[in-house]
Amino acid sequence: MREILRDLARRPQNGEYLEIRLEHIVTTSIRIHNTTVERLKVTEERGGSLRILHPKTGWWFASFQGWDNLGEYVVSGLRSVALLPQGRTGVVRGEGAEEEIRFFPREDFREKPLGEKVQLLFTYARMLREASPFVVSAVVEYRDEWRTVYFANSDGSVIFWEKPDISLSFVATARKGDQIEVYRDGVAGKAGFELVRELEELAHRVGKQAEALLFARPFPGGVYDVVLDPVLAGVFIHEAFGHLSEADFLSRNERLQKLMVLGKPIASPVLSVFDDGSLENLRGSSPYDDEGTRTQRTYLIREGYLSGRLHSRETAFLLGESPTGNARTISYRFPPIVRMTNTGIEPGTVSPQDLFADIERGVYAVEYVGGNTALELFTFSPAYGYLIERGKVGEMVKDIVLSGNLFQTLGKIDAVANDFRWTEVGWCGKGEQMGLPTPTGSPHVRLREVLVGGQYHA
Amino acid sequence: MREVVSIARARGLQADLFVRKVWEKSIEYEAGTFRGYVVREHTGCGLRVIRPDKHLGFYAFTPPCAPSEAVDQALEVSAFGDVVDFTIPSYPSTTEWKDFVDPRLEELSVREMVEIGEYLVGQLKATHPEVLTNVRIVAGREERELFNHHEEEIRFARTFFDISVEATRVKDDDILTVYVERGWGNRDIDVDDLLKEVELRLDLSERVVSIQSGQYPVLFTPSGCMVLLYPLLYGLSGRNIAFGKSPLQDKLGKVLFSSLFSLVEVPQEPWALGSCPFDDEGILTPEERVLVESGKVEDGFWDLWSAARTGRRTTASGFRRSPWDMPEPGFSVLKIKNGLRDRETLVEELEEGLVVDSLLGLGQSNIASGFFSCGVQLGFYVRGGEIQGRVKNVMISGNAYEALKNIKELSRDCRWVQGSILAPYILVEPIQVNAAS
Repeated sequence: MREILRDLARRPQNGEYLEIRLEHIVTTSIRIHNTTVERLKVTEERGGSLRILHPKTGWWFASFQGWDNLGEYVVSGLRSVALLPQGRTGVVRGEGAEEEIRFFPREDFREKPLGEKVQLLFTYARMLREASPFVVSAVVEYRDEWRTVYFANSDGSVIFWEKPDISLSFVATARKGDQIEVYRDGVAGKAGFELVRELEELAHRVGKQAEALLFARPFPGGVYDVVLDPVLAGVFIHEAFGHLSEADFLSRNERLQKLMVLGKPIASPVLSVFDDGSLENLRGSSPYDDEGTRTQRTYLIREGYLSGRLHSRETAFLLGESPTGNARTISYRFPPIVRMTNTGIEPGTVSPQDLFADIERGVYAVEYVGGNTALELFTFSPAYGYLIERGKVGEMVKDIVLSGNLFQTLGKIDAVANDFRWTEVGWCGKGEQMGLPTPTGSPHVRLREVLVGGQYHA
Repeated sequence: MREVVSIARARGLQADLFVRKVWEKSIEYEAGTFRGYVVREHTGCGLRVIRPDKHLGFYAFTPPCAPSEAVDQALEVSAFGDVVDFTIPSYPSTTEWKDFVDPRLEELSVREMVEIGEYLVGQLKATHPEVLTNVRIVAGREERELFNHHEEEIRFARTFFDISVEATRVKDDDILTVYVERGWGNRDIDVDDLLKEVELRLDLSERVVSIQSGQYPVLFTPSGCMVLLYPLLYGLSGRNIAFGKSPLQDKLGKVLFSSLFSLVEVPQEPWALGSCPFDDEGILTPEERVLVESGKVEDGFWDLWSAARTGRRTTASGFRRSPWDMPEPGFSVLKIKNGLRDRETLVEELEEGLVVDSLLGLGQSNIASGFFSCGVQLGFYVRGGEIQGRVKNVMISGNAYEALKNIKELSRDCRWVQGSILAPYILVEPIQVNAAS
């Protein structure tokens, strides 16, 4: 296989850049709902893609199934790409890399009998249900995926990857009359079956939290000082800033480039932000990105100054910078685009307790439901929160959605604690490509004067 | 493919095999420059089996796959599968469907797509030189086939066409993005109408105005009113009702909303995206089905599984997100009943309020209870019947079920959203608005 790919990738004669990607994906998904197996499926997919950039036209991308007609695709692709309209793009070429990246999980989930997986999930579903009499729906959702990738490009790279991914999530719906609350939590990782063992406590906690939400008060809308826990702070930096540091947003927009010029002060001096795909074994980690570029740590903000951005080969070419190993695709069906890998806020020096001390009235926002961004504007939601009054953390509150503006909010971060940790369950959607694993990491962070939506005005 | 279900039948199983073939091509412009061409050709197959002891199994694959291996895999899964109360249905003998395929789309050349792209980019450059335009044009064909253990088969094909324009304007530290898209089953997308809509939004956004927090009447545009519709669709899902997760669980047949609000499903609406002669379980769709009539909730969405669970009949609402997924209750094509007066009149009569066109964070609130709290991505402030400018750093919050009670008026003019939901402008009062300044 490797020889065939190497040969095909060498076909371009006219300065084209060519990339071949073949994938074999086997997944098992199980969804236990209360006492029944609501979903149980095994899927197997074999597909590939071919991407060619012609120096005078643009990209030609084809995705297909089966691996048999690859040679024909290469021939027709090289012919077709030359006939496309004139464009204006290019790629930074790289040095070819030959590597085989294998993964040896402690407990290989491919070898676990289906029955063992189902039984374990049933145990968790029972614990989730029994955690509270208010839980009407207890869902345990499991997914494992073993992806084998062959990659080759015209720079001489031939890379073979094994990419396992496993996740388990608990979703409890609690109901009291017409009031319905949903709470979820889970685990995910580039790991084996060992990751989803011994989660009884988590299952119990998810059921309890769903119940607690029924009795929590909705938080009134207004402008507040907010402390974000490490989980939500990670989502915040992903939405508030991470997306705007993806260079495809500005690679053809000179005004945006001026607005986001490197070296510009953009945040308060306590804030440093990085993206690092080269870390060991996080879900966003890989020695190479999906264009065969080595991954690296890229500082996006250093002590409040804009210090870097995330690149594919193409955006690096357009901006005259270097690729950072951030071209990622969710599967052979899509071309790689600029994405975050593992993104984090660097820890500060103060203890988390110190962040609450001088808040007169605010909210401690904990865990997350989700986040969204439209360039400068963004929203992100905690799963729940606690009132902060005169420096003390008080009663539980819910229905909190925080909103901000990139150019205002980053300057309002005035304290970063020292308790950094990673959260692996997060995923990101961009354009058509949903569900890419994008871990985030952060310590507790304090933000001043944040706009909080709510049904009532404070 | 037929062989797969024949093997299943020979082993004493009920079975259906769903096959979806998609072929599509697209072109893309980035910042007014041609970027590239994409062609995709995918087939996915989902095999569902029910054993004599009613256990359900499922296996999905991309061809080629040995038929007996697919059945083996589905059988292995069924050992742990749910016990189900439904049976795999027989398919209707008729195969005379209305037209879903436009040959003009099948034959659409790259050159024609490029012409449309160049036209959109060129026009916007002429009228709004400060704006950078991204364009994406997609055309394709989809085929759905179902085979069952009764040795019946049923199939239909449809074409699709989608044009989206994203216009970005950067002024000092203000970044404005206007996104407008049109999807349809045939070639007849009005490119000039799309262009007009982009330009109108850019012009209305020229000025940024600040507003005070408080309660305002809000006029939701057809795309803006999805914030009210999504929680309702969640509540109407037979699956959510069957699991006690829907606030509408015991409310079918009751008046819950304003008498101005009516919602119907029209599965055979010509050329709408989502229109289909049968659902993904092979059940013939009706021409029209009432979901909400003058505020009264009449019916939900039931697939075979949820219908059997609750002692109902399927409403031909079993749809699959992809061939890799089993059917779930969903909708084909929806229409919200429109009102009597034009949207301009509704704006003119607004003493003070907001027009909300797009929101950020639709899925981040509690969709089950109907609570929403969203950043306004594109919205306008109205005073004295006139749009004053764009609002920024503003959130709206409320409960969708409450808001549907508080509908004051719907416009006469409607627009298709994502080619599958026909919606008017909806005026709701009051809505809580929180502003940063």
